[in-house]
Amino acid sequence: MHQFYKKLGTDIAKKMFTAPIARLALTQGHLSTSSSSSLASILNSRKYTSITQGRKYTPDFKNYCKLPNGEVVSYFHDIPLEFNKQDGTVNMVVEIPRWTNAKFEINTKIEGNPITQDIKKGKVRFVNNIFPHHGYMHNYGAIPQTWEDPTVKNSSLDLFGDGDPLDVIEIGSQILELGQVKKVKILGSLALIDDGELDWKIVVINVEDEASNNLNDIEDVYKQFPQLLEETRRWFKLYKLPTGKPENTFAFDGEYKSKLETLEIIEECHQSWKNLINGKTDSKKISTKNSTIEGSIGYTNFQTLSSITEENLPDTEIPSEVDKIYYY
Amino acid sequence: MSSSPYSIRQIGAANTLDYKVYIEENGKPVSPFHDIPLYADESKKILNMIVEIPRWTNAKMEISKEQKLNPIIQDTKKGKLRFVRNCFPHHGYIHNYGAFPQTWEDPNSVHPETKAKGDNDPLDVCEIGETVGYTGQVKQVKVLGVMALLDEGETDWKVIVIDVNDPLAPKLNDVEDVERHLPGLLRATNEWFRIYKFPDGKPENQFAFSGECKNKKYAEEVIAECREAWENLIAGKVDSKGIDLSNTTLQNTPSYSSAVANEIPKASPLPPAPIDKSIDKWFFISGAATA
Repeated sequence: MHQFYKKLGTDIAKKMFTAPIARLALTQGHLSTSSSSSLASILNSRKYTSITQGRKYTPDFKNYCKLPNGEVVSYFHDIPLEFNKQDGTVNMVVEIPRWTNAKFEINTKIEGNPITQDIKKGKVRFVNNIFPHHGYMHNYGAIPQTWEDPTVKNSSLDLFGDGDPLDVIEIGSQILELGQVKKVKILGSLALIDDGELDWKIVVINVEDEASNNLNDIEDVYKQFPQLLEETRRWFKLYKLPTGKPENTFAFDGEYKSKLETLEIIEECHQSWKNLINGKTDSKKISTKNSTIEGSIGYTNFQTLSSITEENLPDTEIPSEVDKIYYY
Repeated sequence: MSSSPYSIRQIGAANTLDYKVYIEENGKPVSPFHDIPLYADESKKILNMIVEIPRWTNAKMEISKEQKLNPIIQDTKKGKLRFVRNCFPHHGYIHNYGAFPQTWEDPNSVHPETKAKGDNDPLDVCEIGETVGYTGQVKQVKVLGVMALLDEGETDWKVIVIDVNDPLAPKLNDVEDVERHLPGLLRATNEWFRIYKFPDGKPENQFAFSGECKNKKYAEEVIAECREAWENLIAGKVDSKGIDLSNTTLQNTPSYSSAVANEIPKASPLPPAPIDKSIDKWFFISGAATA
């Protein structure tokens, strides 16, 4: 955490200390690890911007995380988890905005771990619309500094992890944007088995959302968002059918885990990530390059990424077949 | 596929009060209410449909009854642009929504079966094909069925159609084919129209016929009635209720004027204005069925 602030650079630090709100938030961040104030979240949302290269919806598209001082860092390793067990909050990196189809994800293999669009058979991947849904039905993303370890079986399930950061589904009313870092409240989780691998979906809500104060556990979601969790499960079960794959299944009979159980899952996956970053687990094809974890195997200054500049290219058109709806 | 004679003339930016979409035929403005023929090919039962609202969008676009040559504009409520709310699990309108040209739901006549008056608008159409349309598009469609919404006490028929160029079109010939190939869609349509005004504090709408979607034959009868009502309207036989009847092609009507096309402003398209983020909110309505 402190290390992270050091990386902000002197310019931004000066700016922060001249702005009373930012100063207060920063102070709070230093003094307490259980800060859930909206001030902290304001600061949080201002910390990161991004640099985009290539045109959206092409294999060349890359969205890198950028610090206010211009330094490129990794979404996977350098965004702090900021896990607060008391408040049940954590950081989320937004990959896919609600009601869109392009399968954007933190690329675990490329140096700097930019967000890129998944490629299947040489083509950029779009998820299909599963009636009555339009694209992804949540703001979809990942929890930084977590990893679902593909080399060991889960403690309670006979399944390997999928080798990616933990997935999150954010259920707030705002449509979030690719690359945003949001502080979110943990509500529960669903154990998807996707192509035979364990692929947790952590249910969260943006702490800035007006509904977040009234949501504290998975039961509250059932009550206040009728049908959302049922439809979510149905969506994940069916979403690969249009590509010729079978229905997905779930561990625990598809039952959602409580907030408390979910906190442990996050803890476990954070530990798996630590093992990865410290070289205890063979990283295989994963780029562990980072600029904040001193002593880790991938610690670097990202010299090679310092020349990356914003390209500001227009999006390419989304193919019209992406609009098709599949009925089951 | 032959190229369409129709194109759009855009004025202003979408999501603003200035926005207007006129329809041109071979570059000359025509009225989508009066000039565009109902039938593209009557012998093949292919109809023209005017797309007002593309699927998955929220702006309540509609053919203006009052303005000359009836451009498509965004409806306003209390001076503010109207957007429909997202009722879970739906995003905006769930079909390409629009109207049949040369039809009118006569507010002077009470329908014998729905026992309600017409809503004074062209007949509404829900197009269920896979492609997302655009405002002002003239689609060629085939009729599959009809639902009788009772919207705030008026009959507001919703004719279910599919674009004749859709890959599914050859397989869809009547209402039962819709349930076979697009299971859950009619139920979702029913639910959508019942609850869509709920978030604005209005009561649930009702459907006549216990919500059942009537078949193609019934739909064709409704269309014929609404066409006849429009024919009386354009002939000047009934009170026009403030509807602008100007047209540029129907030479035998009292409101025909070729010159009116010259009064229409030149195209001045602007990129869409941003939509307020509050429109992205999803409303969760307890008890609403899902697919």
